[in-house]
Amino acid sequence: MPLKTTNIVSAAQTKFGKLDGLTLREIFSEAVDKATVDAGVPKEDIQAAFIGTFIPEMLVHQGHTAPLLLDYAGLKGLPATRHEAACASGATALRAGIMAIESGIYDTVLVVGAEKMTSVSTNKATEALAAAADDTFESSIGLTFPGVFGIAAVSHMQKYGTTEEDMARVAVKAHKNASTNPLAQFQKEISLEKAMTPRYIAWPLKLFDCSPISDGAAAIVLTSAEKAKQYTDTPVRILGTGQASASMNLCGRKELTSFEASVAASKQAYDMAKLSPKDMDFAVVHDCFTIAEIIASEDIGFFKPGEGAKAVRDGVTALDGDKPINPMGGLKAVGHPVGATGVKQAVVIYKELIGEAGANQVQNHDTAIMHNFGGTGATCVVNVMRRADA
Amino acid sequence: MSDRPTIEEYRAKITNKQFQAYKCVGCGAVITPPSGTCYSCGNNEMDWTDVSGKGTLVSFTVIHIAPDEFVDEAPYYIAIIELEEGSRVTCRLEGFDPLKPEEVELGVPVSLTYITEGEKTYLAFKPT
Repeated sequence: MPLKTTNIVSAAQTKFGKLDGLTLREIFSEAVDKATVDAGVPKEDIQAAFIGTFIPEMLVHQGHTAPLLLDYAGLKGLPATRHEAACASGATALRAGIMAIESGIYDTVLVVGAEKMTSVSTNKATEALAAAADDTFESSIGLTFPGVFGIAAVSHMQKYGTTEEDMARVAVKAHKNASTNPLAQFQKEISLEKAMTPRYIAWPLKLFDCSPISDGAAAIVLTSAEKAKQYTDTPVRILGTGQASASMNLCGRKELTSFEASVAASKQAYDMAKLSPKDMDFAVVHDCFTIAEIIASEDIGFFKPGEGAKAVRDGVTALDGDKPINPMGGLKAVGHPVGATGVKQAVVIYKELIGEAGANQVQNHDTAIMHNFGGTGATCVVNVMRRADA
Repeated sequence: MSDRPTIEEYRAKITNKQFQAYKCVGCGAVITPPSGTCYSCGNNEMDWTDVSGKGTLVSFTVIHIAPDEFVDEAPYYIAIIELEEGSRVTCRLEGFDPLKPEEVELGVPVSLTYITEGEKTYLAFKPT
């Protein structure tokens, strides 16, 4: 059965990028204020908070972040829990919020994702990110995150004929969409030639195949159907949600051209919503690397296995295509403050569904799917959302 | 020594160039890297087993930008190998030029070896 009552009534993100001079709590607080007081949701109405941060222990030397961040944002006293699932931290926090509303324990809750990554060196940040892979059996022999997706890319290229140029086209699309997104880290288009610059990070992945290191936060307010109209005329319903896990180790998976947790979580979310890929107007997927978007577009059922690259080539996933993917620019060009990403994806879907995406507005915007995965794909969260009046 | 295989021993066997895999006592499945529970039958009793050292190359990447600890070794191959016994391992790859990855063919037969870098010894495979 579709979820009964969970509605998003406000959603906001900070600028993503290198936010010099701002600490984690300040960035967090800005996102909370934008999604509450600035959006007509009084902070007094919030009853609990679910917070996604990946690894502030290594990035800003701070644990137990949920109460600390909430206090700074003026919400001291509320139940505050931190959720961690690497790059899917934000979406696991969102799922906890969904379950809190569906259970009836709370009427209105806050979901926030945040990460401050640029106050340490790039090497330190890379080391922190590597903690999302299996340290004992993979990171310890020198496998990196780009390497994980490099392996997936090699398999996809071999099995389906996907090319480095196909992957570069994902980056070109991301930068084009982000060029009109004022909150994006990179607001500049790039040529295919530039995206193909042979600066290899983990062959066959090059510099422009990789998402950047970023600071940023995103926040949304969830409430019950009964209360939703108090806050907005255009609430967005979350109809289906799914989550699955898989082996952290790539060698523990039989399939390297598809992420089994993505397929499983998508099926759960579609089944719950009683909808299918053809009912989706657009998607927001986890493009930490360009190949990840191609594979995700297949795993969520938009295209058959092996046909994701062709869809990019043919412009099907462009902003004005039949099945737009990452219409605001994705992780690739908007930035990837790890804990914030899963919540930011929900912000993008909310803005698009209610028709407030400005220059990045997709044409058909009733129903959409978000796909957020963590680390090597060992966690995946998928949500199906629809504008309440659609 | 523990009375059952441990991860520490598994890693020591690689360092000592005497690689062994886990073997499920219940169904005989060969398991790499170690797991507390058999993927095939769910049994949690494990023993050691030798492997033939033969396998096939499933996929690979070449790490160009490496973490500090591995900078001096880059560029280097990381590969997924399927052992003849059916289990897979993530390891290093020897015998291929890291600057010519387009020449590497997936599915080629490979055999077990080790790569030593300073005080580190990696499980590796090379073309048979």
